[in-house]
Amino acid sequence: MKILFLLALLLVVPSVVLSAQSGYIEVNAPANHQMKLAIDSAHSLDGPANSESAKLVSDVIAFDMNMSGVVTAENRSQQTVNMGLSLVDADFVPWLNAGFDLLVRSEYSLKGEQLAVEFRLFDVVNRKLITAKRYLGAAKDLRRFSHLFADEILRALTGEKGVFNTRIAYVSTQTGNKEIYVMDWDGHNPLPLTRNGSINLNPDFSPDGREIIFTSYKRGNPDLFRRSLSNTAEVALSTRKGLNITGSWSPDGNRIALALSKDGDAEIYIMNRDGSHPARLTINPSLELYPAWSPDGKQIAFVSDRLGKPQIFLMNADGGNVRRLTTSGNYNVNPRWSPKGDKIAYSRMTSGGFNIFTIAMDGSSDTQLTTDGNNENPSWSADGRFICFSSKRSSGDGVYVMRADGTAQTKVSSGKGRFFQPAWSAQ
Amino acid sequence: MYNLFTFDFSRHFASFYPEQEPIMKKSMVTLLAGLGIAALLAGGCTKDVKKDEPIVPVAAKAVEPAKPVEEVKPVQAKPAEQPKPVQEVVKADDSQTAKPAAAEMKFETIYFDFDKSDLRQDARDVLSKNAEIILKSMAGAKIKVEGHCDERGSAEYNLALGERRATSAVKYLTTLGVKAENLSIISYGKEKPAVIGNDESAWAKNRRAEFVAVK
Repeated sequence: MKILFLLALLLVVPSVVLSAQSGYIEVNAPANHQMKLAIDSAHSLDGPANSESAKLVSDVIAFDMNMSGVVTAENRSQQTVNMGLSLVDADFVPWLNAGFDLLVRSEYSLKGEQLAVEFRLFDVVNRKLITAKRYLGAAKDLRRFSHLFADEILRALTGEKGVFNTRIAYVSTQTGNKEIYVMDWDGHNPLPLTRNGSINLNPDFSPDGREIIFTSYKRGNPDLFRRSLSNTAEVALSTRKGLNITGSWSPDGNRIALALSKDGDAEIYIMNRDGSHPARLTINPSLELYPAWSPDGKQIAFVSDRLGKPQIFLMNADGGNVRRLTTSGNYNVNPRWSPKGDKIAYSRMTSGGFNIFTIAMDGSSDTQLTTDGNNENPSWSADGRFICFSSKRSSGDGVYVMRADGTAQTKVSSGKGRFFQPAWSAQ
Repeated sequence: MYNLFTFDFSRHFASFYPEQEPIMKKSMVTLLAGLGIAALLAGGCTKDVKKDEPIVPVAAKAVEPAKPVEEVKPVQAKPAEQPKPVQEVVKADDSQTAKPAAAEMKFETIYFDFDKSDLRQDARDVLSKNAEIILKSMAGAKIKVEGHCDERGSAEYNLALGERRATSAVKYLTTLGVKAENLSIISYGKEKPAVIGNDESAWAKNRRAEFVAVK
């Protein structure tokens, strides 16, 4: 009878198959049924529950997993006798009855500043442990560990590496002038990176996420600087006459593409990562700027007004084979190549202001992602799953994140001032 | 964070123009502090404060951008000059209201159409006057031409467009005889608006090139 009951359960359950070989769940036809993930309240091993810590864990994992769009996540606290991480069959029943497919249980121990936390992801339907992780660190690491486990959940469900522990650099005027800041991808822990009192623009991360380049007027000219995230020194990379702007780090970390106007007007150059030996790629009387590397480093998208108004063009990384990408709209700027290689995100200005679009590499599938307010400077997450951008809209100005299809547009930045030109770190 | 009352404004603004040493008397610092506070309160935009100029005439100038006939244009009056009659009357009034510092040259700002860097007739007229000032009384001086844009358009493209505007002005000045080696350019794109506002009257005043004597 029990076997029949279990078989009936399996029939009712939609197509979720635990693949014993590869170790992760294949999600078939995700549009038809979205798996529901329950996040049980984290259990404290030493004495009374710290509701703040438990809430932090739940909030972080719920935000990350909901944004991913792979599951619907819900914070739920279940009054069970068994508070530990080893569950027997009976422990799954209330979760199954509540309609959940997946369950996260966690427990932590905080002794002084020392933190130990363990997370487990369960398949509720099949009553199996999918994955477990244990982390040791300091009290302040609880947020980071929660993000890391959200990455692990995503890996278990999709096989893909997550971005929940990455950061976004951006420009903010909260001190009165434009300075560069960095925050967690969900907006927590904002930290200033520049404090030079000048005009600072267009940060871009190195591929290892440890450094940024940016343009600053601190020496009286728009020059390109480099700064390590762990060191306050701002190193001048390019202080050539005229503009040294829209620097973009190559995917292999060895070169930087940027716009220089030292030879007359803004053109695209590629130089070594130390700022030496700029090689000119574009040659014509029009303005060329805002280079964006393809993920394989072999092509560059850029903005050019050679046809009158700014449009987005592509070329090989040696400057050859220049061709036009955007053919709709008459003011298209800020290209950024998806890490999956298949699309470019950009901003288009119309009479109503700017909006974010994506377009396929052959110029087809030109798709508008935002409709509300003024939206500029898209930047992709390393897995191509999300886009961050700056937005001025009635529900709040700031740095927003959204899924690559334009859904789940969510403000993550906080604080006063205006926000511009976000850049997503790959690590 | 910065405290408005202890904030060292002279040092703050000096960082924008490190190659110049602002002559900052205490009264000037107080004046600038007041202006700085007003500017910060007005929306947190960095105000382009000219180092050696008193504050009032610059703001008054911004009101009438496109008129070819100058009204307020304090020019150092040289005894040997024979100015045109109409302008002489105007200048006589000015010399009473203008601040006396003889070494200050007041250049006029030129303005541009949207998304354009070519020079309108009024811009060429102003450039002629600016050139005259340079050639007659500032022969060896270095002049920096700043290019600016209005708030529309992308920040990055506007950096390049502002530079194009400054370059246009420089090229025209050289045809009028100003030495190219005495002219330099810088673009601020839309980063330093002269007038805060979201309508054409504000935008028109921000699409400009300004002329600054540099040490």
